[in-house]
Amino acid sequence: MQNKYFVSRFYKSWRIFIENPLGKTGVIILGVFMIMAVASFFVPLINPMYDPMTGIDPDIKLSTGPGLTHWLGTDNVGRDILAQLLEGAKVAFVVGLSAAFFSIVIGTLIGMIAGYSGGLVDAFLMRIADIIMVLPSLVILLILASLFGQFNIWIIVFIIAILRWPAVSRVIRSQTLSLKHRPFIEASRVAGASHVRIVLRHIMPNVLPLAFLYMTFRVTSAILVEAALSFLGFGDPSQVSWGMMLQWVWKSGHMFQAPYWLIPPGLCISLLTLAFYMLGRAMDEVLDPRLRKEGRSG
Amino acid sequence: MSLLSVDHLSIGYQTKKGLLRAVDNISFDLEQGQSLGFVGESGCGKTTIGMALMGLLPENAVILNGHIRFQGEDLISLTETQWQAVRGAKIAMIFQAAMNALNPVMPVGEQIKEAIITHQPDISKTHLADRMTELFDLVDIPARRMKDYPHEYSGGMKQRAVIAMALACDPALIIADEPTTALDVIVQDQILREIKQVQETTRTGLVFISHDIAVVASVCEQICVMYAGQIVETGTRKEVFKSPRHPYTRTLLNSYLSLDNLNDIRVPDMKESPDQMVETNECRFANSCPACSSACSGRFPDWIDVSATHKVFCCNPDMIRRGRGKS
Amino acid sequence: MEKAESKNRFLVEMRQVTKAYASRKKLFSRSSQQVLALNSIDLGIEHGEIFGLVGQSGSGKTTTGRLLVKLESPTAGEIFFDQTPISQLKGSRLKAYRSRVQMIFQDPYQSLNPHLSIAETVMEPLIVQKAGTPDTRMEKVIHTLETVGLLPGKAFFNRYPHQLSGGQRQRVAIARAIVLEPQFIVADEPTSMLDATIAIQLFKLLGQIKETFGMTLLFITHNLAAARYMCDRIAVIHDGHIVEVNTADNIIRHPEHPYTKKLIKVQPGFKYTR
Ligand SMILES: Nc1ncnc2c1ncn2[C@@H]1O[C@H](COP(=O)(O)OP(=O)(O)OP(=O)(O)O)[C@@H](O)[C@H]1O
Ligand SMILES: Nc1ncnc2c1ncn2[C@@H]1O[C@H](COP(=O)(O)OP(=O)(O)OP(=O)(O)O)[C@@H](O)[C@H]1O
Ligand SMILES: [Mg+2]
Ligand SMILES: [Mg+2]
Repeated sequence: MQNKYFVSRFYKSWRIFIENPLGKTGVIILGVFMIMAVASFFVPLINPMYDPMTGIDPDIKLSTGPGLTHWLGTDNVGRDILAQLLEGAKVAFVVGLSAAFFSIVIGTLIGMIAGYSGGLVDAFLMRIADIIMVLPSLVILLILASLFGQFNIWIIVFIIAILRWPAVSRVIRSQTLSLKHRPFIEASRVAGASHVRIVLRHIMPNVLPLAFLYMTFRVTSAILVEAALSFLGFGDPSQVSWGMMLQWVWKSGHMFQAPYWLIPPGLCISLLTLAFYMLGRAMDEVLDPRLRKEGRSG
Repeated sequence: MSLLSVDHLSIGYQTKKGLLRAVDNISFDLEQGQSLGFVGESGCGKTTIGMALMGLLPENAVILNGHIRFQGEDLISLTETQWQAVRGAKIAMIFQAAMNALNPVMPVGEQIKEAIITHQPDISKTHLADRMTELFDLVDIPARRMKDYPHEYSGGMKQRAVIAMALACDPALIIADEPTTALDVIVQDQILREIKQVQETTRTGLVFISHDIAVVASVCEQICVMYAGQIVETGTRKEVFKSPRHPYTRTLLNSYLSLDNLNDIRVPDMKESPDQMVETNECRFANSCPACSSACSGRFPDWIDVSATHKVFCCNPDMIRRGRGKS
Repeated sequence: MEKAESKNRFLVEMRQVTKAYASRKKLFSRSSQQVLALNSIDLGIEHGEIFGLVGQSGSGKTTTGRLLVKLESPTAGEIFFDQTPISQLKGSRLKAYRSRVQMIFQDPYQSLNPHLSIAETVMEPLIVQKAGTPDTRMEKVIHTLETVGLLPGKAFFNRYPHQLSGGQRQRVAIARAIVLEPQFIVADEPTSMLDATIAIQLFKLLGQIKETFGMTLLFITHNLAAARYMCDRIAVIHDGHIVEVNTADNIIRHPEHPYTKKLIKVQPGFKYTR
């Protein structure tokens, strides 16, 4: 059976959401980046020299400024900066969304389990969450990177997810606690439903909106962590990302000579994280009063 | 000018199967200091009217036509910001499930305090404390339980707390949707008297919604009986309850249980409720009507005046005027 | 020997049951106040009877019901169902108990999950107790919805709780409780939101279900008239104590305890009745 109620609620929220100036701006910026990410698949097809990693313009040996064949210029080995920027958008989405997604999945599960079971399980899981929460994630990543060398992009995603679930799980846990004693949960217990069923069927749909809200904030932090890591030289060398581009600018000593190379990736990082942040804030405004008013309907 | 005047109001709900006409062509007036009671079957649209008066209809509701005028102002055209100045301050509502509106993580006393402060930001500490004790007294909750959280209250206590909250801001019109449904008879008795007294002394208008005819009869002078989205009978309390004319009103009165009428209770059969998806002029009660006869066929119900104040919506004027149908 | 025989009459028996809730501990204060919701209750409900529990708000009616369906455990005392102490039920025996004992919750605004459709809500007990096949379940659900007067059932089963009126939700809650045809139902104010016509229809219906399935019913209410109409015996509860138990007629005609007399006095008389 389709959960139509969920869908209709989503549409309603979407309307309020898009009327919110923060939400609207966020969605527009996000839309532009999405177009860029999609474009990154097609640009190398136009001409192999536009491949962000291996495409080298045979006529160019040095970093050059914007021109007709290379709208944003090239880097010091003659690769197209615009192509790299597009590729970076794709990578940022992949890294940001998947890291956020995994941390939300882990956080939601742990939060629901902790809140629902209570007692020792709860205390144990929340202590772990506390410990991880106070760890400075960037420092941890740097230490790990210096121990194991440069990371594959998926390992970075995984580590970010592992380090970023606690905040989510705290929120989901408190929401679960308030749901646990609601009569509809008790009614289902009286019917003989198992704990697993109660958590998945009754608690999860009620906490998911909150989990999605937190996901947008997680995306922001995941993108920033990946960029910082790449800039510091611990990124995945086989992937072009905005952080990696900044690393190349810096390493090749073009920091102050090639603003056309330095500014675009920096600007993109700021804009994309800002967009996700605005989305989260707007969603917060849409969801929050509802979460508080839940059950008043009538 | 009436305090509240509702004119040919129709409200529908957008559903997957089409438009459900929950409130159909309803008109009534309420003067200052008057109390008007709505009774009727579960699901007949009472809450929908209440929500429309508060501007709190759910998003899938549409006002199909009609007007709601409050102190001369058209409420239907108000924007959400304009509503905020009206709601709570001029019109207060006690919800059907009001006890769920309490914040579970805040002591009950704090929540009532907040309600007072929102409307009287400059109230002094001592006045506030006095008002709080007064309100808790009014609804008969021991003051020492002010600091307790909602889940530590019984259902009835929560409802009493919410009533205190609505009374906190001295509104011009109170809409009470089943305010005592969750209460036991002892407290209900007290609260009803309390609501009536507050209403009479402050000359507040009162729209009182309940499925319980005894409750409505004890609070309101004017009564509207509803069935399937329509008002079927309206008049003073005495007219409607002492000489009910509409067959539905009679069915309702006949099935009311009290301690001394157990033996002459009539249990009506369960019938399919009328289809409220279609717009029709036909009688909606026909299917369940004990007095439906060949005299009704081919006729549409219309308003029949029994007296200046007593009106009945039926398609059999002879039966209504005679005052006794076969039932 | 004699004692054991007399016990057998009872399907449900509460012996010396006490339930205390700890009030929230205040910061910096050692003593935690206790609310005694039930104080040494003795209660026996016979096979096949409708037993009324009448009392004021906060007197402990709902608490009694919650103890019986094992949502809560007593602080002291023991509850027996069919001679078995229910505190010892665990695992599959607890699940079996849950299929025999159901509760209609007091507040239909809180007891329906807003994210589940009416069909999903009513079907849940069938699914978790593995009763019937997916096809027969749907039929059973529609049939049960129609039994409680949500006619036609097909018009309701796809809706969500927020699309129903208060009384319609209450009937969904009743449908969920009876769909498994349990042996014992705790009905916590099952008609508090229904108008007289539908309430009386449901009373009749509960009576019929009771007859056909040989069900036993604990009927919680503060409406003495309804209790008298429905019940064989009535217990009056006041502040966690049972103050009087008697047959329905006797308790109304010859009340003994002053509190019972007070309750009878405040029952809403409807002086306009015919
Ligand atoms: N949001 C909604 N969407 C669709 N239908 C709705 C919605 N809210 C209410 N309804 C339907 O509209 C009708 C009127 O509902 P309303 O809540 O006004 O009834 P009521 O008279 O207050 O009943 P009760 O006494 O049971 O509370 C009912 O048939 C109900 O199922
Ligand atoms: N979880 C809880 N924590 C603390 N106190 C509680 C809790 N649940 C109930 N109580 C208290 O126990 C007493 C009995 O409550 P109960 O809900 O059984 O009353 P009731 O008879 O059902 O009343 P009502 O008619 O209002 O529903 C009340 O004083 C209530 O405040
Ligand atoms: Mg209602
Ligand atoms: Mg109760």
